[in-house]
Amino acid sequence: MQIDLQNQLAFFLTGRRSSDSEPRPSAIRPALFARYRDLTELRYDFPLVIAHGAPPEKTLRSLSRMVDDAALAADETDRLRLARHGQRIERAVRKHLAAKGPGDFATVWHSCASELVTEDAVIGDSAMTLWNSFATDGDILDADAAMPARVVKAAWNSVQAEKAKQFNARTARLLHALKGILLAEDIGGGAGRSPERLRSAVGSSFAGAFDFNELSRILVSSKPATALSDSRRDRINQLIATIEGQKFYTESGESIGFVFDNCADAVRSHNERRAEAVKLLRALAIAELEAAGNYREKTHDVLFENYGHNGLELSELGQLPDYLICTDGGAIDAAETARIVEVLAAGLPFKILVRTDDVLEPSVVAEGHVALGLRSRQIVDASIGLTDVFVLQAAASRLFANRARLLSGLSYDGPALFSVFSGANGHTGDFSPYLVAAAAVESRVFPTITYDPSAGGDWASRLDISDNPSTDDDWPVHRFAFEDADLQSNSESLPFTPADFTALDDRFARHYSVADDISEAMIPVDEALRSAPLRDRVPYTAVVGEDLKLRRALIDNRLLREAERCRAMWHSLQELAGIHNSHAERLLAAERKRAESAPAPDQSPVGGAPVPEIVTAEPETVAAEPSSDDPYIETSRCTSCNECTNVNPKVFAYNDNKQAYIADADAGTYRQLVEAAEGCQVGIIHPGKPRNPKEPGLDDLLARAQPFL
Amino acid sequence: MTAATEQASVNECLLKLYDEQHEIEDYQKGVPRWCSGCGDNAILAAVQRLCRDEKLAPEKTVFVSGIGCSSRLPHYMNTYGFHGIHGRALPVAEGVKLARPDLTVFVNTGDGDCCSIGAAHWIHAVRYNMNMVMMLHDNQIYGLTKMQASPTSPLGLKSNTTPRGTYLDALNPLTVTLGISNVSFVAQVVDWIPELLYQTIAAAYHHKGFSFVRIVQRCPEWLPKLMDPWLHDPERVLLLHHENGLRVSTDLTRTYRKLEEHDPSDINRAREIASSWDPIPVGILYRDENVPCYEDLRHDTRLRTSDLIRNGLEAEFDKFTVWPETVNA
Ligand SMILES: Cc1ncc(C[n+]2csc(CCOP(=O)(O)OP(=O)(O)O)c2C)c(N)n1
Ligand code: SF4
Ligand code: SF4
Ligand SMILES: [Mg+2]
Repeated sequence: MQIDLQNQLAFFLTGRRSSDSEPRPSAIRPALFARYRDLTELRYDFPLVIAHGAPPEKTLRSLSRMVDDAALAADETDRLRLARHGQRIERAVRKHLAAKGPGDFATVWHSCASELVTEDAVIGDSAMTLWNSFATDGDILDADAAMPARVVKAAWNSVQAEKAKQFNARTARLLHALKGILLAEDIGGGAGRSPERLRSAVGSSFAGAFDFNELSRILVSSKPATALSDSRRDRINQLIATIEGQKFYTESGESIGFVFDNCADAVRSHNERRAEAVKLLRALAIAELEAAGNYREKTHDVLFENYGHNGLELSELGQLPDYLICTDGGAIDAAETARIVEVLAAGLPFKILVRTDDVLEPSVVAEGHVALGLRSRQIVDASIGLTDVFVLQAAASRLFANRARLLSGLSYDGPALFSVFSGANGHTGDFSPYLVAAAAVESRVFPTITYDPSAGGDWASRLDISDNPSTDDDWPVHRFAFEDADLQSNSESLPFTPADFTALDDRFARHYSVADDISEAMIPVDEALRSAPLRDRVPYTAVVGEDLKLRRALIDNRLLREAERCRAMWHSLQELAGIHNSHAERLLAAERKRAESAPAPDQSPVGGAPVPEIVTAEPETVAAEPSSDDPYIETSRCTSCNECTNVNPKVFAYNDNKQAYIADADAGTYRQLVEAAEGCQVGIIHPGKPRNPKEPGLDDLLARAQPFL
Repeated sequence: MTAATEQASVNECLLKLYDEQHEIEDYQKGVPRWCSGCGDNAILAAVQRLCRDEKLAPEKTVFVSGIGCSSRLPHYMNTYGFHGIHGRALPVAEGVKLARPDLTVFVNTGDGDCCSIGAAHWIHAVRYNMNMVMMLHDNQIYGLTKMQASPTSPLGLKSNTTPRGTYLDALNPLTVTLGISNVSFVAQVVDWIPELLYQTIAAAYHHKGFSFVRIVQRCPEWLPKLMDPWLHDPERVLLLHHENGLRVSTDLTRTYRKLEEHDPSDINRAREIASSWDPIPVGILYRDENVPCYEDLRHDTRLRTSDLIRNGLEAEFDKFTVWPETVNA
């Protein structure tokens, strides 16, 4: 075995490197990142604009899209100029935010534009046109540690504002109805018909023309007064007081005191307000019944006495503001992790943001152990396991793209967890948080996961991983173009794996060894994972150094194992989401085998579409009619015309559907039966045989009955 | 939405438990003053049965009518009602629906009421497509005023206004309705087949939009023999049935054996069927669930508080007020 290979194998197995002469590993980065160091030169969906006072779906906006939309909306003659100028201002805005942090949108936009005016005077004009087309006041921000909380809070606010609007409309409607009931009593009761009230209703011009005392006396004596029972009046007054006195929303639609930075405070506040919440929701439920005139003291009093004793339903609680908890990335330890899961398990309307800044945190248990993204993964897995928690895991770079999912989670009637990786930690050199976050998604270390319990009853409808790149594959693969040693352009397909992601992080430098030459024994990480066990091969990933030269960095076994674990977790996610489901694939293989051995079925001819035609149904054997000795009515054909029931209501009566039948044949005479049969317009009364042989005039009656027998 | 999407809230279930049950008699008011044997009775029984089966709250249900024997129906319903003026049932019903979309609105009208004096309102009501059921009690005569020819009277019918018989072909309410823009539901039924009458009115009630039901109704007082040939010969009734229309029971098909499977979404076939009279086609001729309702298009979310109403009225009155200053100026 060559010395080189031996050294490389030794590095792979033990992490021991042979010489110090190789380039400093900390200076390397994944080859695919060769071009992305200065993001301010690129156009992408960040920075974000948080619009104030906008409806939920318009609260989060992307500056580059706003610029594109504004340019497109302009006249054709201006379109190109606006797009060009807009992009220049955009670039300036990115630089500004990178240097100075987030700010007020108007201030940042105009100050960036005015700096450019010195280069090109028309830019000022374009900036103004674009600004007017944006019609958006708000804040502008790039991806940094504080961004996830600001975005989630803004989205939460917009969702609460919507709820407040609905709540206020509902309470206004109910108060209107409740007060209307009191008003009706006032107008229809004694007070409304008193001489004074009548006088004030007529007004001054014609007051002299009436005797109001007399008018009042006539009105009062002519129609009974409308009066509510005392208990109903009391109840309605109490409902009005409770609803008007609520402290959950302000009239302008704000919800106050519902945002917290830890679980304990939120739970305490929730418990303190519980009784008040029960009282209000109970009042609303009773008010609905009162407004519809459906409140029945006998049945509803007991029901509402125990309202909320068994906990409130989320659909009820959902009318009140949700509790938002934004935890700080650094502060989450095992204890807070447990508390978060506990709170989510309580099934209360808590929306929790768990922000993680570092997914490569070293393990506190095992020295030297690397475990990628485990802390957040624990919370996410536990929450999904609860089955009624809405879960969204998304890196900060994907937050804008996942804004609809974020809103669904915030609007969900139940607990929701948002696990966000900010990418902002001090270990990735000058790579921006956005890039680090994006790399975490790309490498499957922090895949986007949505679990929406309201989407259906099974995994297929609830779990959604479609936001990830190349969801069908183990890793996303990118074409990478470079110039080879002979300065010829060349390209190669490079997968992006956790071994590329960790290359961004200085704490992982010792797991890489950059090779000077290329050897047969080297195998790309993705292939290495597919071809275990590795015999005399050393896994590598493509990197570039400061000099932008493409090199191979060997990785050690520990990192390879970690990449393998990430892949296993990704596979289980894929299976749950219905991609490469192992059970299904086994079944399919078995079915295929069976199908191959079975003979092909006959081809049956295809029928044409039916043409409308009138058909005559075959007469069926008619059910036995009652014996013609007894009188009977073909009840189902009765047209409820009252003819027979007027003849003798004891003999002829209506059933539940108001159709006639013979209730008591002996309650009348044969004459009545015959006359009814003659009178029945639809001829469905059959008088049968006379029951009293002594009835006078029977011969004539029997003859008249003949057609109806 | 909660995890248990399809599960109604426990609250709702509990409240429903105590829902009130009504019997048919609860919807009955007074004693009908129609002649004995009059087909209007059958229509009354059918709508009362519908109210009971659909658990319609009497205080949330309105019957609106114009003038005629048929228009007396609201008097016999123990619900809200509006016995309007001749030909004007529909504008009243539209006003009710616009102001109170939460109410269930039925309209009962006669062939004179709807097809002569009220014809303009009929056309526009179809076009407005407001969610209500309209029952045209078509006895082909002015009943209340004692036998004058109506637009639907058969050619040659002798009446007090046409002693030598009518000169014009009868107007066909079905083809007219099917020709109006936005038509969304057209059915025809006869008063003497109670099960079909009930089913057809029920289908009309379940349709969201303006449901036009022409009911061929017997007037034994003035035209005692007119419908006899159809009444006594089941072969002269054509049952329209379809999985999306009426599903007729074997009990019915035992007597009425002429059947046509007709898809109510087929307007061309519906128009053909509408033009035929013998056998009388009964069932749903046409239905389109996707025509928007005027009350939804013009939905006003403002609460109708007394202030809002007062201010609205004041603004209208102000347009006609003669202000002393302006007169002097
Ligand atoms: C403006 C006006 N014109 C005429 C009448 C007289 N009138 C009362 S009922 C009626 C006809 C009713 O016929 P129809 O609508 O077919 O009802 P039916 O009695 O047949 O059920 C007429 C013309 C009236 N009441 N008002
Ligand atoms: S007379 Fe005939 S149609 Fe009229 S109620 Fe009696 S059975 Fe029914
Ligand atoms: S006149 Fe004719 S329509 Fe009027 S109540 Fe009598 S039978 Fe019925
Ligand atoms: Mg008539």
